[in-house]
Amino acid sequence: MTKILFSDKLDKCVERWKSAGLTVMGPVQRANIKTYAAVEHASEFDFGLILTDRSIKDLFFPQTEPMLRYTIKKDAINTDECLPPREQRIIFGARACDASGMAIDDPLFGWDYKDEYWFQRRNESVIVTIACTNADEFCMCTSLKMAPDSTKGSDVLLRPLENSKGWQVEELTERGREAFKTIADLLQEGSDTAAPVAAVAEKFDLDACVAWLQNPENFDSKFWKEISMRCIGCASCTYLCPTCHCFDIQDEGDTYSGIRRKNWDSCSFALFTLHTSGHNPRSTQSARWRQRIMHKFNYFPSKFNANSCSGCGRCSRECPVDMGITETLQEISKLSQ
Amino acid sequence: MKIVARHDEAPGVKTLRLEFQEPAEHEYFKKTYRTGMFGLYGVYGEGESTFCVASPETRKDYIECTFRQSGRVTSALANADIGDLITFRGPYGNRFPIEDFHGKNLLFISGGIALPPTRSVIWSCLDQREKFGKVTIVYGARTVADLVYKHELEEWQERSDVDLVLTVDPGGESPDWKHRVGFVPTVLEEAAPSPDNCIAVICGPPIMIKFTLISLKKLGFDEANVYTTLENRMKCGVGKCGRCNVGSVYVCKEGPVFTAAEVSRMPAADL
Repeated sequence: MTKILFSDKLDKCVERWKSAGLTVMGPVQRANIKTYAAVEHASEFDFGLILTDRSIKDLFFPQTEPMLRYTIKKDAINTDECLPPREQRIIFGARACDASGMAIDDPLFGWDYKDEYWFQRRNESVIVTIACTNADEFCMCTSLKMAPDSTKGSDVLLRPLENSKGWQVEELTERGREAFKTIADLLQEGSDTAAPVAAVAEKFDLDACVAWLQNPENFDSKFWKEISMRCIGCASCTYLCPTCHCFDIQDEGDTYSGIRRKNWDSCSFALFTLHTSGHNPRSTQSARWRQRIMHKFNYFPSKFNANSCSGCGRCSRECPVDMGITETLQEISKLSQ
Repeated sequence: MKIVARHDEAPGVKTLRLEFQEPAEHEYFKKTYRTGMFGLYGVYGEGESTFCVASPETRKDYIECTFRQSGRVTSALANADIGDLITFRGPYGNRFPIEDFHGKNLLFISGGIALPPTRSVIWSCLDQREKFGKVTIVYGARTVADLVYKHELEEWQERSDVDLVLTVDPGGESPDWKHRVGFVPTVLEEAAPSPDNCIAVICGPPIMIKFTLISLKKLGFDEANVYTTLENRMKCGVGKCGRCNVGSVYVCKEGPVFTAAEVSRMPAADL
């Protein structure tokens, strides 16, 4: 017997969580964009999506957010630090790749200066992940040694029932248990079996790729030029990536008042590393693509003990010129044979 | 921080001296600042720019920064007046371990606008001159006008305990120029300082560093005794914004000061 949440109870759950002061969010389709957003009713959720276009990162690390507001008067500068508004949230129906992506970035935002924007949202969110029973040709979690039902970064894992009538419930963290206490009476004990998780084919040999990337000789390989020839430097891959976290800081305003903002930035852009002198350490698109791959599978793991990739496949799925991490690592797999 | 003095160093290059407004912030700076560290200097409405702290760790009543007016932030800083308030975030990064240099000869090599970080180390050592051996400074710029800290160059020239070698690139000399003409690595090889018991500190544009390292090798310097500081573009200064890394090394956190031995282990194409 396992705990079951039946779909027909979900609207009541949403009501319950809302009354408890939680903002309820989840996968929705709005204006042709598939994304995670706040909902009023359970009917707004779209659980049929294999994956949203936008990653869950948007909810923790928005595209742009104010860091401080300033006003300047004669002989005085006043500043207000702007932390995100307090908001307890439950994100219902995340994918395992998205949830683990958030956990991957925790150590980065936590080393040295602890990023308050990130951790406030992390601490105020409950992530309820639904294991995938469908995948498309771009999904690659298994290639990253993860699975459609990985639990990393999730507070609760739901397994869809074979009869499509609901989900088996696995509460994973204290925060998850707490959120599900609110709906405890809406859950039922049952013996319904869970549907098998999606079969996601392994696309490359991760260990072989990492070994190839760690070999300093390959830094100057002509492979980088060949693989990135098509790259137009649009940065879609970095913006849609759940783990890409690079940002820029810009001021908006005038001499008297304004806002200092943190905006997404991307290693795909030449301006990202350009020195004042005109010198650019990563002056070519191939150097920039190499940085992205090296960062995810060599540099980041050397510091934080995890690859900076959770296998969602958005970079390949949405790339306008059909290149991405999958294609690159598949080629590297071949080279390292 | 309040601008208490400003000085034109060279065409487009200015030095600002800043004083703390908050005693607690000043205390923090005094406690943490060591030569080699950097900060983010800012003007609200324009943004922040990263430069070294150009003043030495032996003079912590103020911060000096020297920069070339180039973009939005540096233009705002260049146009700021004495008495104006600007922001400083820092000090960040590691430092030159100058206690390890005690009893050793020091060779400073610098090019153009890269004298400010070197100058911070130079004064940190000259302010406790007795702890170090022979001090040699090799400094070059494109033209005579481009030399920064001209008043301090004169001071070093006059000191009997400092050996100063000045040079400008060929074509950059003025009619009354009495010093060397030639590129820094060439002039360095001519001056031929001894590598014995000597620490070299070099700072300059990437191309100068590249050729100066070759010259130092020829002169017999061990890479472990050669220090440099990398100045990559930064936004956060605390290891998050993702742009200052060379290979797996975050310049903001693990640098900006590295030995030549450490730099040689970094991927050269990313420098």
